[in-house]
Amino acid sequence: MTTSTELPDSGAVGLRSISARALREERGALIGWTIGVVAFCLVMLSIFPSIHGNANFAQLLNAYPEALRKMFQVENYTTGPGYLRAEVFSFVAPLLLTLFAVLWGSDLSAGEEERRTIDLLLANPVSRRRFVLEKWLALIVGTVILAAALEIALGVIGPLFKLHVGWSRLTAEVLASWLFAVAFGTLGLSLGAATGRRGLARGVTTTLALASYLLSTLSTLVSWLRPVRNLSLWQHTLGVDPLGSGFHLDRIALVIVVTLVVGAAGLWAFDRRDLAT
Amino acid sequence: MVQVESRGPSRPTTSRPVARFDHVTKIYRGGGGVHDLTLDVQAGEVLGFLGPNGAGKTTTIRLLLDLIRPSTGTIEVFGLDSRRDSVAIRRRVGYLPGDLALYEHLSARDVLSHFAHLRGGPPWSTIRALADTLELDLERPIRSLSRGTRQKVGIVAALMGDPELLVLDEPTSGLDPLVQRQVHEMLRAAADAGHSVFLSSHILSEVAQVADRVGLIRDGRLVAVERVVDLQQHAAHLIDARLRGTPARASYATLPGVTSCTVNGHDLHLEVAGDLRPVIAALAASDLDDLSVREPSLEEVFLSFYDNVD
Repeated sequence: MTTSTELPDSGAVGLRSISARALREERGALIGWTIGVVAFCLVMLSIFPSIHGNANFAQLLNAYPEALRKMFQVENYTTGPGYLRAEVFSFVAPLLLTLFAVLWGSDLSAGEEERRTIDLLLANPVSRRRFVLEKWLALIVGTVILAAALEIALGVIGPLFKLHVGWSRLTAEVLASWLFAVAFGTLGLSLGAATGRRGLARGVTTTLALASYLLSTLSTLVSWLRPVRNLSLWQHTLGVDPLGSGFHLDRIALVIVVTLVVGAAGLWAFDRRDLAT
Repeated sequence: MVQVESRGPSRPTTSRPVARFDHVTKIYRGGGGVHDLTLDVQAGEVLGFLGPNGAGKTTTIRLLLDLIRPSTGTIEVFGLDSRRDSVAIRRRVGYLPGDLALYEHLSARDVLSHFAHLRGGPPWSTIRALADTLELDLERPIRSLSRGTRQKVGIVAALMGDPELLVLDEPTSGLDPLVQRQVHEMLRAAADAGHSVFLSSHILSEVAQVADRVGLIRDGRLVAVERVVDLQQHAAHLIDARLRGTPARASYATLPGVTSCTVNGHDLHLEVAGDLRPVIAALAASDLDDLSVREPSLEEVFLSFYDNVD
């Protein structure tokens, strides 16, 4: 088995690159998160048939003050898109994606430094930039897998529960969730790379992601927040309601640019600092 | 002892050094670091870097690998700049960290093949052969390995690329004596093949066994760089003797090799550099009650060596 003179392929993915190894190390966690996301979708979808077209329920919700209906996004709750918006995309699904991205992103560089494996890794002819870029690539692939699971669960299983939204609108909404998650995952990676401290990166990034969500959501109720809500990445992704209005290319481009700038800043800082012993 | 050419810090060298620290200072905020370090590693030599824990050995090694950057001064490896050409340098350097950490969830095989890929491929047969030499089982996950076995994985990782320069931070820590000797033989073989080895240690005997030259670092400052053969010639032994009568100081202080002589009642304390035989003969002829001869500590060797030079 090991007598060959060729390098063995290590598992299906192989460990030819730092990205491949990062994904291999995260494999178990990624499977867990995927199961969690799909299970959440299943639970939410299984309730929908009892709500779908339920006039009494619609009446009940309409009795709520408008402000609350806006905040919890329960407009058209008994329709497929309305239900998905309120129960899946208003908070939980983007939160799951983002939490996964932030927890892992913050660990990708800083975790390797805190566990001290980075010394031996960077003894190889690998530049620091390549290290961070490969880690970032792994983050992209991992979050795409999780987002794809979300999309497939809703798009394929949804119709079985009479929930139809159409692939295009669903994709626009999942893409928005994914962009939000990747932006903050990238921030976690960058902060971790710039400081070498995983806990700090996680704490700061999670706080900012929540602040971003709250700023966008509360600004529908609190008028004085409205002028500053454009500082919220949530506003530019899920805040524009891709499920109802489709792709907003300008907003997508904006979020991508912000993400790239954050990533580049992390690279720049990481390239210049001393790595922790 | 190993044949060494005439090398020393004061002698001009004809060939370009493999690695050169030029007035390198690295200061940490909390103190520590290295101060104004100037040191060469020559082609084909094993340079031992000796000092107590916290003296700056690891700092020096991590500077060479560009894991940390000097506050002032420059480091050249293979004539390349340690910062600008770091990737090109690391292609030709094998490194074993002092505080070795490996990927716990992977097997030794996965770790080593991963690094082999990143290096652009020493063949698996090379890795296999090194692992066999050290009797390393590659299939077990890292987390199940003992400290010594992990160290073997690190040693294979450092050696597998057949690097021109080996940089090893406390390479034999955690290894049993038999494996230590194997590792020393591997390092000597690398040096004999014209490669260079820069290794740190806080154990004098390890450095004496494997190194051609030794540098002593203390509190971040390079105190001395000497050839091991020179040190061994001058190495003092510490002799404590108890005599039935009162030792006559003059009859011992004048013996060849005695550099220090103290008498305290029946007790005689001698420091002897070089050949011990005249002193032992004199003691054997006396009315001896008790005798101990011990190897001096690293610090004592260097201090006595400098006493002799002065």
